[in-house]
Amino acid sequence: MITPGSKYFLGLTGLGLVSAVLYCFLVNPSDLGAYALFGLFISAALIAGFSIFTRDGDVATAAEAVEANTEATAPSFWPIIFALGGALTLLGVATNEIVFVLGLSVLVGGAVEWVIDDWAEKASADSEFNAFVRHRAIGAFDYPGIAAVVLGFIAFLFSRIMLTVSKDEASIIFIVVSAVIFAAGFVLAAKPALRGKTTAIISVVGALVLLVAGVASALSGERKELVKYAKEDVYSVANRGCGKEEGKYYDHEANGSVSLRSGVIATVFVEDGKIRAQEIGIKKDVETITIPRSNSTSILFRNLDAEEYRLVATLGKVKVGTTDVMEEVGTCTQLTGKNEEQVLTVTIPKPSSPEEPFKLTVPGATGEIKVVVP
Amino acid sequence: MAIIERPGTGTTPVVVTPQQTFGAVKRPVQTKGWREWLFTVDHKKIGIMYGVVAMVFFIIGGVEALLIRLQLAMPDGQILSADKYNQMFTMHATTMVFLFAMPMAAAFANYFLPLQIGARDVAFPRINALSLWLLIIGGLVLNASWFLGGAADGGWFMYAPNSGPIFSPSNGVDFWVIGLQITGVASLLGSINLIVTVLNMRAPGMSLMKMPVFTWMILVVQFLLVFSLPVITVALVLLMLQRSYGATFFDVSQGADPLLWQHLFWIFGHPEVYVLILPAFGIISEVLPTFARKPLFGYPFVVFSGASIGLVGFGVWAHHMFASGLGPVSVAVFSVATMAIAIPTGVKIFNWLLTMWGGKIWYTTAMNFAIGLVVLFTIGGLSGVTHSVAPSDTQQTDTYYIVAHFHYVLFGGMVFGLFSGFYYWWPKVFGKMLNEKLGAWNFWFMVIGMNLTFGPMHILGLQGQPRRMYVWTEARAGEGFFNLGFWNMVASVGSFILAVGVLFFLINVVVTARSKQQAPLDPWDARTLEWLTTSPPKEHNFDRIPVVHHLDEFFHRKYEEDTATHTMKKVAEGEDLVRAEEEGADAHIHLPSPSYWPIVLSVGVGLLGLGTIYGVPMIVIGFAITLFASYGWILEPSVAEEIDFEPSDNDGNTKEIAPLG
Amino acid sequence: MDTVSPVKSLTRRISTIVAGAAGTVVLAGCAQNAPQDTWQPKGDNAQMISALDKIVFPIAGIVGVLVSVFAGYIFWRFRDKGQAIPAQSHGKPIVEIVLTIVPALILTVVGVFTWRTIMDLAETQDTEMIINVTGQQWWWEYDYPAQADQGITQPIITSGQLVIPEDTNVLLRETSRDVIHSFWIPALNGKKDAVPGRIHLLRMQADQPGIYAGQCTEFCGLSHANMRMEAIALSKEDFAKWVANQQKPYTAPAEGTLAKEGEGVFINQCVRCHQVNGIKDANGKAIISAPDENVYSGAAPNLTTLMTRNTFAGAMFDMVNQKCRADVWDAKTEEFGAKYLKGVTEECLNEKTLRAWLRNAPAMKPMYADPAKLEKTNGLYRGMPNLGLTEDDIDKLVAYLLTLK
Repeated sequence: MITPGSKYFLGLTGLGLVSAVLYCFLVNPSDLGAYALFGLFISAALIAGFSIFTRDGDVATAAEAVEANTEATAPSFWPIIFALGGALTLLGVATNEIVFVLGLSVLVGGAVEWVIDDWAEKASADSEFNAFVRHRAIGAFDYPGIAAVVLGFIAFLFSRIMLTVSKDEASIIFIVVSAVIFAAGFVLAAKPALRGKTTAIISVVGALVLLVAGVASALSGERKELVKYAKEDVYSVANRGCGKEEGKYYDHEANGSVSLRSGVIATVFVEDGKIRAQEIGIKKDVETITIPRSNSTSILFRNLDAEEYRLVATLGKVKVGTTDVMEEVGTCTQLTGKNEEQVLTVTIPKPSSPEEPFKLTVPGATGEIKVVVP
Repeated sequence: MAIIERPGTGTTPVVVTPQQTFGAVKRPVQTKGWREWLFTVDHKKIGIMYGVVAMVFFIIGGVEALLIRLQLAMPDGQILSADKYNQMFTMHATTMVFLFAMPMAAAFANYFLPLQIGARDVAFPRINALSLWLLIIGGLVLNASWFLGGAADGGWFMYAPNSGPIFSPSNGVDFWVIGLQITGVASLLGSINLIVTVLNMRAPGMSLMKMPVFTWMILVVQFLLVFSLPVITVALVLLMLQRSYGATFFDVSQGADPLLWQHLFWIFGHPEVYVLILPAFGIISEVLPTFARKPLFGYPFVVFSGASIGLVGFGVWAHHMFASGLGPVSVAVFSVATMAIAIPTGVKIFNWLLTMWGGKIWYTTAMNFAIGLVVLFTIGGLSGVTHSVAPSDTQQTDTYYIVAHFHYVLFGGMVFGLFSGFYYWWPKVFGKMLNEKLGAWNFWFMVIGMNLTFGPMHILGLQGQPRRMYVWTEARAGEGFFNLGFWNMVASVGSFILAVGVLFFLINVVVTARSKQQAPLDPWDARTLEWLTTSPPKEHNFDRIPVVHHLDEFFHRKYEEDTATHTMKKVAEGEDLVRAEEEGADAHIHLPSPSYWPIVLSVGVGLLGLGTIYGVPMIVIGFAITLFASYGWILEPSVAEEIDFEPSDNDGNTKEIAPLG
Repeated sequence: MDTVSPVKSLTRRISTIVAGAAGTVVLAGCAQNAPQDTWQPKGDNAQMISALDKIVFPIAGIVGVLVSVFAGYIFWRFRDKGQAIPAQSHGKPIVEIVLTIVPALILTVVGVFTWRTIMDLAETQDTEMIINVTGQQWWWEYDYPAQADQGITQPIITSGQLVIPEDTNVLLRETSRDVIHSFWIPALNGKKDAVPGRIHLLRMQADQPGIYAGQCTEFCGLSHANMRMEAIALSKEDFAKWVANQQKPYTAPAEGTLAKEGEGVFINQCVRCHQVNGIKDANGKAIISAPDENVYSGAAPNLTTLMTRNTFAGAMFDMVNQKCRADVWDAKTEEFGAKYLKGVTEECLNEKTLRAWLRNAPAMKPMYADPAKLEKTNGLYRGMPNLGLTEDDIDKLVAYLLTLK
């Protein structure tokens, strides 16, 4: 069972594992050396596995004599694939990582298939048996591998197309594709004789279209808005102050994401330019909200007016660094439109005092709500 | 690679097909010794191994419970520190639910489901073996935590945020997560296996409504598992990502709502309790008719109520959360839904009692345990109905009243059902009958012990002792002789009486193993198909797959109704029927071959899980072993090859299955 | 196939009935005056629950007894007496249907009452007073927002003992600073979880003055068992006195006394975490404590009026000795307010326990306060550490703490 050849690789596997583990403990687990030794362990294990499975590539038969396989070696496309893999790898080194990884996978895949093909062909004189043996050895890896490659291709190309076209164009593409699929299905159902041909034509044409369109899209780049959004962080704090400025940066979708009915200690409303508040558990308006100290507390802000407002919380003053200058501590929501809500979550570590009251205000609206932290 | 040129023997080359050019390992074929058990895919051996493993964990969980009761026997107990106590009650519950109750049910299901439906094995034998080994690995991982820095200490329900990395800093919770994840996968695989088996491999003529009730209950349980296990899998993945990889799913400072964990856990947790009890219901639905000599009263109603319990069980999870801050409408809806579930359960109780009505009751130990289940489960169920009233539950939840309820239904219900199954089916599995005298001691000690332990907990809870407390104080124990201190002591004493009862069972097992007396083939004059076999059954179960014409097919082959007196007359003994089957035995019987890969795959998965605690290298190794085992599994031939049976290698193992007759 | 002797089956029958009826018998064997008894309601809300219990428990009990008696009868009557194998009846659907409908009807009735009670208990329109309750590992903090109609002009902050006026609809707004806790005073209402990031409402109302015990009832870690509290109900006049006392300004101890030295020790050692409102340092500047910099959950009990409460350390220990404790806990309703408002005097102080606590708190109550093991929480404590105080320091501190009334 354990063949002589595989013993060597098993030894290498053991050596690799032991040295990798020792390296991790004695040197540094995140070092390149650790990865390299683990890589050695894994690849030696793989080869050992193949070696055992193929009985070192040795052949033996029940009968005493074996007839050499006098047939010529069959043509094979694996060398071409291997070369393609090499080319893609080199290309990827020069261009981008995806191509590099793709090239590497094709290279390794091609190499493995080539080696197994070679072994299987010479395993015996019976070519049927050889085909069976080859299938047993590599079939379980063939299909997942092919599937991964094909699906990867389709996903990648399709995604490039979708990133380039505008939303309307994308709708048209989907309509066309579904129409084609529908038509093809109709043909396949109505004319069974045409099945093979139809499927072949559609697959080939579809693949070609996908390839051309995908490459073209990839080369032309993503559509304008995506590029723009990637650059700007529209909602970052740096882009907003806490005053009454214009609503250039404004999260229009905010009200869809507020659902903290149990988590809100008070709701602050702006109605008719005036601010008012209701605390949980009390149905009438209050002038003061009491918040426990050092506890993350949420306040809901609802704007019932047409104008855009934001809620500002001023929470006392702290010293700036080691100087004696006091600066105001505060936070605010984004600008909120009509009938929309925002949440302000504050954690106040120090109690409030009469000299240093905390408060909630809305720039542009009258009134204020006191915040007391006992 | 060698190319050997031989002188040609003629003009046409001889093409010889080699036999031995490839292949990594030989398929195991041993029929004796430890390897027979380690690599088996036979559902009977797997069932026995499940049973042994579950029993070991029952004892471990029981010891944890005894330590808890020792700590709580007196006020301000000193036996366990707060930390150790928290670990103890967490592990007691986790061990009992996941490592004892579910595997023991799996033991019965594995052994008897194929026999009851007239099949020779389950649909996916290697997956069956994988489920067993994953359970063992999961159980080992879970309990390894005791030695590797402390066990999980957040309660078996492991509420967030207490389960997060800040509030539970030791690795205990990580081991809990991995252990449960692995055993969860085991149960999920098993459930798919058994569903396919029941739907596809029933004997000819056995329609769904002619299946034994035990098989039906197991089928419902498997559907419950299929739909509830994924939820806890998700919850455990989220918790694992939070603890080991810095995710913030349950981190309140990042905006998480701790109730998410509670919902996820209880959407699994509630169907889980039906997963626990329905197999016991199934067992006694076989035992009661056998010993009352009457068929089960209202078979379709029992089956449908079992299915409806399973279905409605998915709609009541938030009754574990009545005090958790759900709004009043949610609470009211779940309260009413929980009351609804009491109805099909009540139907079953009545059906069991009416089965015995008008019967000819034979009080063996198995029957005693079955009756015990009916009475004790009724008590537990009624206290459950008092919980379903949400306002009352806000007083009762998290007190010992709840502990009393679930121990009555789990111990008085499930465990008694399992013990009933032990005594009932022991002769079939091992060929010997458990001693009835020791059985009586076993039963009475367990009944008395159980009531003494959990009965007083009703009082303790209603008078204000909360759960999960490592000490209780005199100051809150009230006055008078019968104060909380008294009842705590009674419960502790009762727990030891209960332990003695379990000890009687273990003694019974040993005494039976030593005894030479063989059991008859059909000692209880039973009703279902698993008794149409030898004791123990042959490896291939049935010499000829029986054709089924009735519910309780075995009974109908033995008895015919005397039309004159309308009583049942025996026309054949069990032995006669089995001999008849032997004479008509099938010529070729194909059985699934044993395999290495399930156990190797389990080890790989175990390492993969531990890698989330101990770092990437272990994940890589675990993944490599898992991948290797998966491919080995895929690539191995479905039947052991000729060469695997070569006498020189394999100590006389042959392809012949156990000789007939 | 043995026939069972009549004696054996009689035993069986009797034991079944006894088991079934045991519930009634055992109820007589209950503790008297169990402080957390759920069947001794002392407030409207607990009474609403109790009214529901009085419907449900008897129904459950009667059903249990009936089933047990029925079962016992079956076990005796149909034992194997040598009769023939009985007719193999497969069931009577009409029986099944009746036995399904009857429980359904009973449960419908129970369900209607349950629904009503749930809605009643969720009512907040009749609230007369609000208190914020914040759970933290392993103690409870209460703060009273300013409410003019209750005489509270500035927020009051206490811990451990929740003081409320009698016969007033109090609404608790519960939350937590770390893990899930649960607030439960059985005599006054069911429990409600205190969940971090959420605010849950619980009604609390006491009919008469008294002290009502409670406990945290959601597993919250190491010292979950030690996290207790009491609700104190005072008559309206007594409550006004209590409020006035809580709101009076801080008076430093007189110069030259042991208590003044204790204040010094307190400022050096304790003020890092524990706030005393109005305490001033040597320069006359008000000191704000900084538990947010020392404690993981961000707060420690406010000790301004420590000696007005008679428990401490999350109500785990009594601040008063046995005799004084019995005095307050067993006081008659009319005298309770006066006894409670007396607070903790020097004679009543449970000095041994308080000193042991100050000497080495983690040894008294399991907490995560080992300075060597704080990496996971960035050096912040989860509980009170051992401060390494000398006996001298403790003497001074005790003298000082006694002035915090």
